[in-house]
Amino acid sequence: MGLTGLEIFKQLPKTNTGDCGFPTCLAFAMALAAGKTSLDKCPHVSEEAKEALGAAAAPPIKLVKVGTGDHAVEMGDETELFRHDKRFYHPTALAVLIEDTEDVAARVAAFDELEFDRVGLHFVTDMVALQCTSGDGAKFKAAAEAVAAGTQKPFVLICEDVAAMETAATAVADKKPLLYAATNDNYEAMTELAKKLECPLAVKGNGLADLADLVEKITKLGYKELVLDSGNRETSQVLADLTQIRRSAVRKRFRPFGYPAMAFTTKDDPMEEVVQAGVYLSKYAGMIVLKASKKEEILPLVSWRQNLFTDPQKPIQVEAKAVAVGDVTPDSPVYITTNFSLTYYIVEGEVEGSKVPAWIVPVNTDGISVLTAWAAGKLTGDSINKALKENDMESKVNHKTLVLPGYVAVLSGSTEEETGWKVIVGPREAAGIGKFAKDNFGK
Amino acid sequence: MFIIGERINGMFKDIAQGIREEDPTAIHYWAKKQEEGGARYLDINTGPAAKDQVKVMQWLVEKTQEASDLPLALDSTNYDAIEAGLELCKRPAMINSVPAEWPKMERVFTMAAKHNSAVIGLAMNEQGIPKDADTRVALAMELVAAADSYGIPMEDLYIDPLVLPCNVGQDHGPEVMNTLRQVKMLADPSPRTVVGLSNISQGTKSRELINRTFATMGIANGLDAAVADACDRELIEAIATARVIMNLDIYCDSYVDVYIKQQK
Repeated sequence: MGLTGLEIFKQLPKTNTGDCGFPTCLAFAMALAAGKTSLDKCPHVSEEAKEALGAAAAPPIKLVKVGTGDHAVEMGDETELFRHDKRFYHPTALAVLIEDTEDVAARVAAFDELEFDRVGLHFVTDMVALQCTSGDGAKFKAAAEAVAAGTQKPFVLICEDVAAMETAATAVADKKPLLYAATNDNYEAMTELAKKLECPLAVKGNGLADLADLVEKITKLGYKELVLDSGNRETSQVLADLTQIRRSAVRKRFRPFGYPAMAFTTKDDPMEEVVQAGVYLSKYAGMIVLKASKKEEILPLVSWRQNLFTDPQKPIQVEAKAVAVGDVTPDSPVYITTNFSLTYYIVEGEVEGSKVPAWIVPVNTDGISVLTAWAAGKLTGDSINKALKENDMESKVNHKTLVLPGYVAVLSGSTEEETGWKVIVGPREAAGIGKFAKDNFGK
Repeated sequence: MFIIGERINGMFKDIAQGIREEDPTAIHYWAKKQEEGGARYLDINTGPAAKDQVKVMQWLVEKTQEASDLPLALDSTNYDAIEAGLELCKRPAMINSVPAEWPKMERVFTMAAKHNSAVIGLAMNEQGIPKDADTRVALAMELVAAADSYGIPMEDLYIDPLVLPCNVGQDHGPEVMNTLRQVKMLADPSPRTVVGLSNISQGTKSRELINRTFATMGIANGLDAAVADACDRELIEAIATARVIMNLDIYCDSYVDVYIKQQK
């Protein structure tokens, strides 16, 4: 959205000289908002006003990139408070914390294996967060090099001592790690370092007001590749801070908060830590630094992240692949449905509940439901035939009988014709599958 | 969109009589009836006949609040009467109205800020009602800038683009719709919009049909409120329906009843 007349008017000198060709500053502001004139027509406007107006036209939250190449992580560039209004674009980056006092190479190797394949999707953790616990620049540097050598994925260097940070960051600057963090005590030197190495910089405040001040000081030094940390660590406070940062940036166009935000988990109990991370993931964190590193801890988080960052406008699809529910035999029945995830999982649940092992063949309808697919011509005798062939159903069962959803009974004729299979019309609602299976296939 | 019930107005005979005889029966009746119909505010207008505007306004405010808890819209060009009424309002009220003229804006926005009340700002000035949308929007902008300088939140400023009867001011119709759309771009958050709905059908046949058709078109163009007949069931149904179609309320089978209930 462009600037409103009121926002522009507030930046104008309000002198009503008419030098811009409009009788009043208010009329000029209106013309600017409507795009009928340009700001340089006003000879009296201040430099600050020019910058404020220029910046306000930029996206509310800046896109910040960490790392290089295929594995680079992008965060920020979000426009919504609620995903149902449009969508969330850049999934929260999950960073696993490793200390430089540990066996870094071994930890990085274990980190690189944190990949998951579930329901046809591939999940990964995105980053390593290397913390300088030793306080020793040389040791931190060696650890940073071990991370750079051990994984393609980007990383965060956590160290508030500028000298130690400079030693480590300079050695791995070509990997463009995120430098954590600029604070009130070190921000001038830390900003210089980030500028010199062209690495993104995390800014750590003591609460929101202090964070805003610090960001303004750093942007005055001419650096804008920033990630925000309010400095708070209690879940409820971090939740409030993340909300405030996102809301101020999107709703109020508050420039100091127009950057992605990050959070750290603090809970010692792994269960509590995952729940804490789940809160930050749901509420606007661009990046989370986790102590958790085990597969069982990470999987629920990456699954929830995948879920949250899907596009609500687009139906979610399951893979159009035949699924065996229960201990199928060549005699097991074959149910036809679509690959819309809601439809598919309802059918799967009911087939499972019927206690009659069976095959489900989801026809690829681009993820739309049975009736919608039928109306759009995507669920037809032809597409059902294709699904049976692609899944090689003839070799999986010793009969040629399929069950069609009751709502598309009208397809029976064309389906029998196209497939050569016998059609049984099933119940209209999947809830009827239990009884249907017992009546037709029960022993 | 919500309705500001228009019925407690000294222009109506029963209200005028009530004022004359200091008998609140009609006021109580219409306060309750409009609340049941689905009004969110009750408009209070002393009418032109009242001699002491201040006293009558105070009396009407008191009597209306005896029968209904709805917030009030104090409707007068006499700002002393409005100020006296504001003192008695139990809930934050609405001032109806101020044109884009100094020093009227100064007076009204000062008392609005003091009493935490909303304000209806008319897109007109000393020169009368503008012909085109551009002039209306320019006047709306003056109201927006003035309200902002007095610290009135935009959510409390209701811009009235001024509706004229469609039998004599027919060419104003599209200009009003245009104005409604553009007013939403003046500030962020945007100011709200309001119309005196019944004006559109002044002196026409089938007034209710014209009123509710205008209401649905207004909602599609960003209309937030209307001073209107809260007891016109078909109008309420049309508003509730337009709100569902514009995705302002979540659909359910009983959406009309839900709309009426949620006004309170």
